[in-house]
Amino acid sequence: MKKTAIIATLVLSTAVVFISCDSKRQPGKVYMPDMAYSRAYESYALRDSNIFTTNPADAGHKIFYNSLPPAGTVRRGDMLPFNVPNDSAGLAMTAQMQNPLPPATGRDLEEAGRLFNINCAICHGAKGESNGPLAEKVGGVKNIITASPKFSDGHLFFVMTYGQNNMGSYASQLSREQRWRIVQYIRTLEPKTEAAPAATAAAAPKADSAAVKK
Amino acid sequence: MSRYRKIFNRVLPAIFLVLFLSNNVDSYAADGKALFKANCASCHKVNEKFAGPALKGWKDRVPGGDWIYKWIANPADQKDPYATKLMAEYKPTIMTPFPQLKKEEVDAILKYVDDWVPDTPVTTPGAQPEGSNDSLLFGILTLVLALIAFILLQVNSNLRKLSDEKEGVLRTEPVPFYRNKTYLMAGILALFLVGGYYTINGAVGLGRQQNYQPEQPIFYSHKVHAGTNQINCLYCHGGAQDSKQASIPSVNVCMNCHKSIDKYAGPDKLIREDGTPVDGTAEIQKLYAYAGWDPTTKSYKPDSNGDGVPDGASPIQWAKVHNLPDHVYFNHSQHVKVGKQQCQTCHGNIQEMPEVYQFANLSMGWCVNCHRETKVDFYNKDDASGNKFYSIYEKFHNDIKNHKMDSVTVEKIGGTECQKCHY
Repeated sequence: MKKTAIIATLVLSTAVVFISCDSKRQPGKVYMPDMAYSRAYESYALRDSNIFTTNPADAGHKIFYNSLPPAGTVRRGDMLPFNVPNDSAGLAMTAQMQNPLPPATGRDLEEAGRLFNINCAICHGAKGESNGPLAEKVGGVKNIITASPKFSDGHLFFVMTYGQNNMGSYASQLSREQRWRIVQYIRTLEPKTEAAPAATAAAAPKADSAAVKK
Repeated sequence: MSRYRKIFNRVLPAIFLVLFLSNNVDSYAADGKALFKANCASCHKVNEKFAGPALKGWKDRVPGGDWIYKWIANPADQKDPYATKLMAEYKPTIMTPFPQLKKEEVDAILKYVDDWVPDTPVTTPGAQPEGSNDSLLFGILTLVLALIAFILLQVNSNLRKLSDEKEGVLRTEPVPFYRNKTYLMAGILALFLVGGYYTINGAVGLGRQQNYQPEQPIFYSHKVHAGTNQINCLYCHGGAQDSKQASIPSVNVCMNCHKSIDKYAGPDKLIREDGTPVDGTAEIQKLYAYAGWDPTTKSYKPDSNGDGVPDGASPIQWAKVHNLPDHVYFNHSQHVKVGKQQCQTCHGNIQEMPEVYQFANLSMGWCVNCHRETKVDFYNKDDASGNKFYSIYEKFHNDIKNHKMDSVTVEKIGGTECQKCHY
């Protein structure tokens, strides 16, 4: 009898211990910390400032690591850097710049459209008519379809890369190839100026297809 | 002893039944709401005219049959009177075609629209206390009944004692209830079962962090950003489609919008989990401090020490909510890009959480269960649909052709092999 009572008390007290650890604001305990917490430095993990430094001047006696690739390196499979400075002279350089990518196939356009809807449509709207959910709150959102036909591919790429007015840079969110693809996608959103006379004039479709090829 | 056994034999299955029923795991169905948010919400509202018509009450307006499916797959091709009327009304906007939506997905969206009720302004902890109140009620009832039974038993034994005395039957002095072996045994058994239940639950839960809801350095409401303002999850967590990590956005991503949005004036009241109100505008000012942004001049502060960031700027040390132990490998892109899973499947309705908490328990059983049930987008040789990667599974293709199986789950292609996640 005494033994069962002791066992019951033990079981109850363990239960109380387990339950009392439960708090929403604390991550809780784990069984084997050496298997649960990574010894290797995981992404975003806080680095020990006694060992690591982000200041190049300390590089001698501490490990210099700031998560950035060395200057001038190009990621494997990525496009070459966009060597246009972020100023008005740079913007002028893009006036004649062509899209370096081959014309987009259906799949590329689908993917570019998906990225456009995620990153751009929130302000510019799914059709580029500056009617996205955030357009009014951010303010000054440009209507892409009316504005973009006037600009070269390079100009659009420049704006995506460095931002303009209220728009921020998307270079950290979209790779160079993705940005060039989105330029191609924006071109498909633009109203086809040749399409209107196509209904009346018989010669127009030829001009239309030629324009697409170009 | 046989009496105990009898009690034991009767009580134990009942207890197990109760535990089993109460322990049922909530399954999280792929829902119409997420599909609606992802596909329709940019142009449609359920209850109001937006870029397109309000969807509520669609059934009474549209022609019957499968018109609605045809319309959703390709609106421009519908030439019936209702379609022409719609197009004329919303000219020049024509609805985006959604040929990729399957019939059951459309059904799920329509069901969500039909079942939709306007949000009542009630604070979030609505359903939870309701359930616990019920179990509390049942608990009290059980206790009261047990007490009554106990009193009746005592009365019964006292009455018997009295009648025995009256009739002159000599009986041994009855033992008091606290030394009565039946009562003691029943009490210990009850303690053992209740204690054991909580012990085992606690032991299983050790190392799991379901409902973990850390306090963040800035009160960032996913409800405001992903819910009310409809920002796509992948806008900020773009890493989820390209890499192992879903990636926490750097401050420049916040500043894409907050360069111009410097005040909080949204419809949602910002309230912390403990009930204290939050000043949204002050939280945005905190962001400006991290970003090194001067809201008065509307420009970044100068970078005088040449480290590439404005003076005083520093990264925000967000607290990571979802932690997997180091001995588990999990890759976001595999699930988001290849498996085409919705974020909400694992993270819950993030777009409704003012403060994010861990929705799923992230246990191995939970992972494996999903791998057993989820069908892969298997390549179909006949119409070339599906993911072409799976064209290499010769045997399954033959089995499907011979009607031995109709679909392939993640488990079938090795999704429950130990080494897939533990190595």
